[in-house]
Amino acid sequence: MTDLPLAGFLALSAVLLGIGIFGILTRRNFILLLIAIEVAINSAILNFVVFGAYWGGVPGYGLEGPSVAVVLIGLAATEVAVGLAIVLALNRLRGSINVAEATVLKL
Amino acid sequence: MILELLAFLVLAVTAAVTALAALLVRELVHTIVWVALFFVSLAGFYFLVSAPFLGVLQLGVYAGAVTILLLFGVMVTRKRIFAHEAATGLGPAPVALSLLIVVVLATAASTIPAATSQIHSYSVSALSTALFNQYGAWLLLLGLVMLPALAGAIYLVREGRE
Amino acid sequence: MSGPLNALFPWAFLVPLAPTLSFVVIGLFGRRMQRLEWGGWVAAGGAFVAMVLGVLIAVGEMLSPGTYTDRSFQWFTLAGNGTGTFPNGFSLVMGTLVDPLSAVMLIVVTVVGFLVMLFSIGYMHRDSGLPRYYAQLSLFLASMLGLVLADNLLQFFLFWELVGVCSYFLIGFYYQRPAAASAAKEAFLVTRIGDVLFLAGVFIYFQQFATAGPGLGWAAAGFPFVDHGAPFLALIHASNPTLFTIAGLLVLGGAAGKSAQFPLDVWLPDAMEGPTTVSALIHAATMVAAGVYLLAVTSVFIGFSATDQLAIVAIGGFTTFWAASMAMVNRDIKRVIAYSTVSQLGYMVLAVGAGFTMVGLYHLFTHAFFKALLFLAAGAVIHVVETQDLFKMGGLRKTMRITSIGFLIGGLSLAGIPPLAGFFSKDDVLGSVYVAAQTHPLYWPFFLLALLTVFMTAYYIFRVWFLTFSGDRPRDPALPAAHEAPWTMTVPVTVLSALAIVAGALVFVPQFGGLFTAGVGFPATPGVPPTYTTTDLLLSAGSVGLGLAGILTAYVLWGNGRVFSLSANSPAQPIRRLLLERYYVKAGVDWFGLRVVYTFSRFLDFVDEYIIDGTVHGFERLFSELSIRMRRLQSGVVLDYAAYVVVGLAVFLVFLYVIVPAIPALGGG
Repeated sequence: MTDLPLAGFLALSAVLLGIGIFGILTRRNFILLLIAIEVAINSAILNFVVFGAYWGGVPGYGLEGPSVAVVLIGLAATEVAVGLAIVLALNRLRGSINVAEATVLKL
Repeated sequence: MILELLAFLVLAVTAAVTALAALLVRELVHTIVWVALFFVSLAGFYFLVSAPFLGVLQLGVYAGAVTILLLFGVMVTRKRIFAHEAATGLGPAPVALSLLIVVVLATAASTIPAATSQIHSYSVSALSTALFNQYGAWLLLLGLVMLPALAGAIYLVREGRE
Repeated sequence: MSGPLNALFPWAFLVPLAPTLSFVVIGLFGRRMQRLEWGGWVAAGGAFVAMVLGVLIAVGEMLSPGTYTDRSFQWFTLAGNGTGTFPNGFSLVMGTLVDPLSAVMLIVVTVVGFLVMLFSIGYMHRDSGLPRYYAQLSLFLASMLGLVLADNLLQFFLFWELVGVCSYFLIGFYYQRPAAASAAKEAFLVTRIGDVLFLAGVFIYFQQFATAGPGLGWAAAGFPFVDHGAPFLALIHASNPTLFTIAGLLVLGGAAGKSAQFPLDVWLPDAMEGPTTVSALIHAATMVAAGVYLLAVTSVFIGFSATDQLAIVAIGGFTTFWAASMAMVNRDIKRVIAYSTVSQLGYMVLAVGAGFTMVGLYHLFTHAFFKALLFLAAGAVIHVVETQDLFKMGGLRKTMRITSIGFLIGGLSLAGIPPLAGFFSKDDVLGSVYVAAQTHPLYWPFFLLALLTVFMTAYYIFRVWFLTFSGDRPRDPALPAAHEAPWTMTVPVTVLSALAIVAGALVFVPQFGGLFTAGVGFPATPGVPPTYTTTDLLLSAGSVGLGLAGILTAYVLWGNGRVFSLSANSPAQPIRRLLLERYYVKAGVDWFGLRVVYTFSRFLDFVDEYIIDGTVHGFERLFSELSIRMRRLQSGVVLDYAAYVVVGLAVFLVFLYVIVPAIPALGGG
């Protein structure tokens, strides 16, 4: 295959990251927060895969990109699961899933 | 070549749009739809760069499991996105911050040399061999993270908990 | 020639050791010693041992005239490295020197010390805090003995300071009384001024000696009083006469502080706030004598220039007159005796300055006995009638026979009436100054002052005797009924009376007199002038006459219960007030302290409180504020934490991709 510009992929992942961060900072609904986090993580995973594809010629390390991506996908899924457990617990406790109501996390 | 470029552009736009849409629409169930589409478009990217295994993985885990999880979450809590939940009233600061991050990264990205012109592909067996031999430790760690997460999640949602 | 008692000389260090042991024992166990009069008998025991040993050593020295025995122990040594100020190293020593000077002082200090200890047992019987008293008194005795026996300048200074500290403690014994506490402070501070001057003088000597030459050996050996073959006098004279004179003046300053000479005499009258026994020991016989002893010691081993000697004569002569004048009008029995001490010290200083060191020491010897006697007798009176005001007393000779006779003997001795001790020594002082004035005409005014003081001395002391003991009954009817004092008080008084009578004549015993005429290992200094020319006899007759005139005046004004009071518009009134107010010197010092020093202290306090503390507290408040502000970051709102993460990420990215490339040193650009 011929090249698609690497920089393009990277720019895209930067944009997705930006969207994800925007979502983290501005959304108060817990589930939307989780979705924003997912968007950000996926942008990182995209980066890994793309680098793995483009720089896979390095002997011995060619498969590092996809490997990390696999692990990260698993990790992100776990995190969503735990996050949802928290959502359910919070919902039971407070009756809402407004993140702004979770204010007790301090020393 | 031009096909790939086109595919790339379509997928890129889709990804960006669906991501934004997921975050900005008013109905929680609608976001789930947008989220699913977002994951699918990412999978498309993986197929584009000759990583079919990862593409399938993405579809299976994300577009499948994670989306359903989120759907369950929405269903159980039965909430809607209230107006006061939509924005945090921080003004333009979050947008500015995200734009800053995007710009910095993009600029940095543009300086990276596009190493080779070949997109490398690999077989699944090669990937699995590498994954379990060379990067086996990472998998073990992942398992170590998942187990307590599982236990914790179960603990958090069990009945009788005030 | 050495007698059998010479074997004791190496054990001289036991003399100060005995009271030190008393101090330690009383200090540790005093509070359990109720039977032993709270440590009183232990202290008296220690003083007794010291007295026996001290007198034996002194007698031994008498029997081997002119010898000196130096036993010292190097406690600090620096090896020399061939270069620098001390190429052969440097050492400091502690030791004892038994020579005629220290022998005389030994007798004085140990005998009076023991008698005062004994007296205290009765006198202080009703007081509280006695273990402290006896412990401090023992420590004082030990320090004074250490000073007397010191064989080098450093040790001398060490004990000099220690003696000053003990004096502070003892004057301030009744520390709950503000007057006593402040008197103790005053004593310490004023003598401190003297000490600083003394130290400055020592530094000059050291600096002069330590610059090569044979004097270097002296300095390197730890400043011993016994020269190691170095002709100090010539040495220091030759090198720098001006510096030498200045050093001498500074040493005089130190002696003036301890011996309460003008202008450092303000503390001694106020020191009467302490117990009378303390005054008897410290401010009559011993500590104040240390100043004279200092002058004596330095005169024999370093010497004084002509200017220094004039200064010494001037200060001694002036102080004599100055203090006696103030004693004439005072109404506190102890204060009169205190002024008398200052005045008599002036005589001693005068004699030393005139070049007759041993004459001064002779007067020190006799004075110790009759002054202690006067103090103790006064103490007995105070103990019985519970007041110190002369105008409340009267007629006590009927009820306190022994005490009144003791005081009479002391007074006669002080006034210089033959054949009591004071006559011989005071006469010798006057004779010496007269002789010295022949060659130093500048001494004449001071000789005249000294002569006039003879009259004043007799007057003031007999004023006291008449006011206290003569007449029929006390002037103040509310006075407690008088009775004779207990044996612990009358015995010392009796002993001291005997000494006050014979001590002067003792000098005619050859061995004893030999102490005063022999040199101390150096070229012999002039001793007691043994001549009896017509001039001398005329002088003696003159001074006795003046003394008798003083007594007569006192009898006329105060005898038989009369009270002489100056009429209100008499021209002598302002003089009287001047004397009562101590020539306004004290007032002047107080004004200076209050206005100048106190203002300065307040300024410094301001600096300390606002600037220094302000800075410290400022830092404290800075950090407090900072932490309060920072604490708000931990809001507990999850979104805030998310925001922190993002902000952190942004900062990191900016740093990595924007700032780092821009720094040329880090490979950017």
